[in-house]
Amino acid sequence: MAGAVAWRGIHNFFLNPALVIPALLFPLFFLAAFAGGLSRVADIPSFDFPAGYTAFQFVWILLQTVAIGGAFTGFAIARDFERGFARRYMLAAPRRGGIILGYVVVSLVRVTVTGGVATLVALVSGMQVLGSGVDLFGLLGLALLVNVAATLFSIGMAMLLRTSSGGFLIQTPIFVATFLSPVFVPLELLDGWIEAVASVNPVTFILQAGRGFVAGDPTGVALAFGLAIALVLVMLPWAFFGLRRAEKAG
Amino acid sequence: MGGSFRGIEVEGLVREFGKGFRAVDGVDLRVEPGEIYGFLGPNGAGKSTTVLMLTTLLPPTAGVARVAGYDVVKQGAEVRSTIGAALQEAALDPFLTGREHLALQAAMHGIGRKERRGRAVELLERVGLTEAADRRVGGYSGGMKRRLDLALALVHGPRILFLDEPTTGLDPQSRSALWDEVSRLAKEGVTVFLTTQYLEEADALADRVGIIDHGKIVAEDTPDALKAEVGRSSIEARPADPRDLDDVARVLEQFGEPIAAANGSAAVRLEDKSQGLADVVRALDRQDLRVAGLELNEPSLDDVYLAKTGRKLEGAGDREEGTA
Repeated sequence: MAGAVAWRGIHNFFLNPALVIPALLFPLFFLAAFAGGLSRVADIPSFDFPAGYTAFQFVWILLQTVAIGGAFTGFAIARDFERGFARRYMLAAPRRGGIILGYVVVSLVRVTVTGGVATLVALVSGMQVLGSGVDLFGLLGLALLVNVAATLFSIGMAMLLRTSSGGFLIQTPIFVATFLSPVFVPLELLDGWIEAVASVNPVTFILQAGRGFVAGDPTGVALAFGLAIALVLVMLPWAFFGLRRAEKAG
Repeated sequence: MGGSFRGIEVEGLVREFGKGFRAVDGVDLRVEPGEIYGFLGPNGAGKSTTVLMLTTLLPPTAGVARVAGYDVVKQGAEVRSTIGAALQEAALDPFLTGREHLALQAAMHGIGRKERRGRAVELLERVGLTEAADRRVGGYSGGMKRRLDLALALVHGPRILFLDEPTTGLDPQSRSALWDEVSRLAKEGVTVFLTTQYLEEADALADRVGIIDHGKIVAEDTPDALKAEVGRSSIEARPADPRDLDDVARVLEQFGEPIAAANGSAAVRLEDKSQGLADVVRALDRQDLRVAGLELNEPSLDDVYLAKTGRKLEGAGDREEGTA
């Protein structure tokens, strides 16, 4: 069941420009606007990131891309419910949990492509990577866990709402959670309420560990992976809760 | 209810929505294996809600339903593996071709890659979509979508098939093709649960008919038995010469009791079912009476619906859409 759901999602993603182009433009826009347009931030005396501002921004853009990739999967699920295709899945699935797994696989494949393109563009535009291959593997691992957590959240939300008009409620929490973190400068340079929120936001710890990997100075890795795994574990029952609600609603 | 029965058994099925509104209100029915069961009623009568519950897509509020011997609530996976369903709106993906849909559906049912291809070819041919197989379904007509939907429902060789208003919105030719296919499936031993709001569809296809109104089954039997229950056939004759009307009426009275007829005509309700037009024609001929029109009126399922609910079926749902 999961394979069938995944095959359709991946097939439609690659054959439908309306899906693939926005998914690719999103990270490229952030890369141009934030890494390019704000590059002078690196000149701030207390900004101390050895790999440079593009690499500093890239990590956030990558995590943002994979998280929003999960939201895009949620939009696709909502559309499936709206158009009745979800009933085809519900009717054929011996175990409906396979539907959730299938959508997660779709999301992982999508963000592998969009994240890969963003990485390639960042490297071409001069991003320095000081970390080793193992470090980058760590960054990839964090990104995939963030994608799975965001996808599970979106699945739960989409199955609960079952309408495309609920897209706002799928995307906004993910968008806000990723923005309430040290996006443009390190945590130490933030001030006021944003500093207070960012210092307890799990995304901050994942982001800082990711930046450590790129800088070749991994810090807080265990905490970051622990939080990412915890997010997945929290969102998994949420996705099943959404599925059960969809089953009850018919 | 026994678990070995391979048809459909339903007892006291209820589905409530919102503030206690009962879309299905205590439905009891039994569909024998290999039977075509016509579930007839207007829009909003509870037909589709019943199908959703029997196909495990909607949990019942109360009651018990077993499909192919499996409980729809406790054994949903087993039910789903034995049934096929083409629901009211053919839910197809406009970005996939007909062949891709079949491959996808087969994969969902765990059919192996090799077997999938053969099954797709066979089913595409069966529903007459071989030529359109590699076109995206976004460009299919309504009839083609319905036929593909039927093929998808048959991918895993289900023993029981649910068809929810399969011909709604189809042109007469597509409708007739679908009827032929349903009849063929029944001959192959597939149990068919067919919901429809078309009387002639239920009459033409169903071995037995259940009429549902306001969530309750108000009549259930073979179409012939239901029609016989509400009345006998009638004959109406219009003499060629209006001055012969009384003589024609007297001849007709030999065959049954007089009933109201159109102006310039005489009519009787037949007492003996074995008597028909030929007997009346012979009797009129013996009296040298010529007629301009002679009509045998059989009771219809619409008469049955009228007798059971007090309303005509045509448009009944449209008038009540707001309440159901």
